[in-house]
Amino acid sequence: MEENNGRVLLEVRHLHKCFGKLTVLEDINTTFRKNEVVSIIGPSGGGKSTFLRCLNLLEVPTSGEIFFDGVDICAAKSDINLHRQKMGMVFQQFNLFNNMNVMKNMTAAPIRILGMDKEQAEAKAMELLERVDLADRYAAYPHQLSGGQKQRIAIVRALMMNPTVMLFDEPTSALDPEMIGEVLDVMKQLASDGMTMIVVTHEMRFAREVSSRTIFLESGHIEEDKPSHELFDSPESPRLRSFLDKVL
Amino acid sequence: MSLEKTILIINRYSSFFLDGIKSTLIIAAFSVLLGTVFGTLMATMRMSRIKPLKILATIYIEFVRGTPLMVQLTFMFYGLPMAGITFPDISFIPNFSRYTAGIVAMSMNSCAYVAEIIRSGIQAVDVGQMEAARSLGFRHSQAMSMVILPQAVRNILPALGNEFVTVIKESSIVSVIGIADLMFRTNDVIALTYRSLECLLVAAVIYFILTFTSGRLVALTERKLSYGRK
Repeated sequence: MEENNGRVLLEVRHLHKCFGKLTVLEDINTTFRKNEVVSIIGPSGGGKSTFLRCLNLLEVPTSGEIFFDGVDICAAKSDINLHRQKMGMVFQQFNLFNNMNVMKNMTAAPIRILGMDKEQAEAKAMELLERVDLADRYAAYPHQLSGGQKQRIAIVRALMMNPTVMLFDEPTSALDPEMIGEVLDVMKQLASDGMTMIVVTHEMRFAREVSSRTIFLESGHIEEDKPSHELFDSPESPRLRSFLDKVL
Repeated sequence: MSLEKTILIINRYSSFFLDGIKSTLIIAAFSVLLGTVFGTLMATMRMSRIKPLKILATIYIEFVRGTPLMVQLTFMFYGLPMAGITFPDISFIPNFSRYTAGIVAMSMNSCAYVAEIIRSGIQAVDVGQMEAARSLGFRHSQAMSMVILPQAVRNILPALGNEFVTVIKESSIVSVIGIADLMFRTNDVIALTYRSLECLLVAAVIYFILTFTSGRLVALTERKLSYGRK
């Protein structure tokens, strides 16, 4: 069992989320440490995405606390926009800004929010595009790109803000099978560079081989939360076992 | 009907038609302008998180869209004065009160339609766009102005163009409160010549030229906003 003794980056305490009468998340408690790569797996409708979206308050928790770098981001006086700058997010549907080309997509936030100057931002964008093999597409608009290309750009767009943690919400679920590999490769590279990552995924191989820890979320609560190899090699709960039987 | 007669009518009564076109364009331009300004405001109210504003806007929009323009217009010019509300006359602008009533009624009507066009145009932008912007740390207002509105304009413009065209056509109704627009002037020429067919044909062609031209102008603007799409 690999121990990760990095600094605690995110701490979730007694997180509850209800949509009307429907309880989606019930008393979630967990921590994420610096440099950790954590996968969140589980059946559809189990609350994985909702949980991830609670971490940067795209969904507002019904109750509970989320500490990011020691600050309770759910507190009324905390400025969520400030925290979100440090939390990159990658979506299933990519969500590149359709009205901007690749370069604008990447530089809008650092220029407007961080006050970076244009040349500096563009140089940084080119460097990141180079890393994902898309430097030649800097002038393209989203509709001119394939799904895999869009997602790789969505990842580097988030990286432009120098986030301390990256949240991935099923980043490969909307991709054609032959494009999944290119996106996973970028994510693996990111993981090996030491980025803290929280990944909601259906890619069991990624969870098992790349992430250091895996959380099995089922019916709104954490059923198991362990180092990935342990979780996959010796699942304890019958629910996890039946889930793994179905997906592996 | 004869071509000669038609040409004769155009020649002899061109000042009538030109005068009518002028009035029609004045009414339509003001109505579209005011309708768009107040329609934008109304759409903002309609989408507001402040409940009373939202309810007020919804009632207004539903009511205006659910009643005939003819009723709204005559109510404004013939109805309201009976309650002591009149549009003032200004000596140096002839028929000022008529024009005001016409423009107010037309723009109040158009405002409701424009509000719905704008609202649906904004709501048609994928929610993921807003979420992505917010997740990068943009404030709601920044996300609106940089990401959502530029995309919404693409949805709004074609429908707004249709609305402009509709206003030009519908404005012919102001002839019933005595505004000397194209329709009114056409009736004048009919009264003088007894040639209904030719006169109405001329009017129809003029209306068509007006709407077709503005339709093309809108299409031209649309193409400029295509973000690399053909």
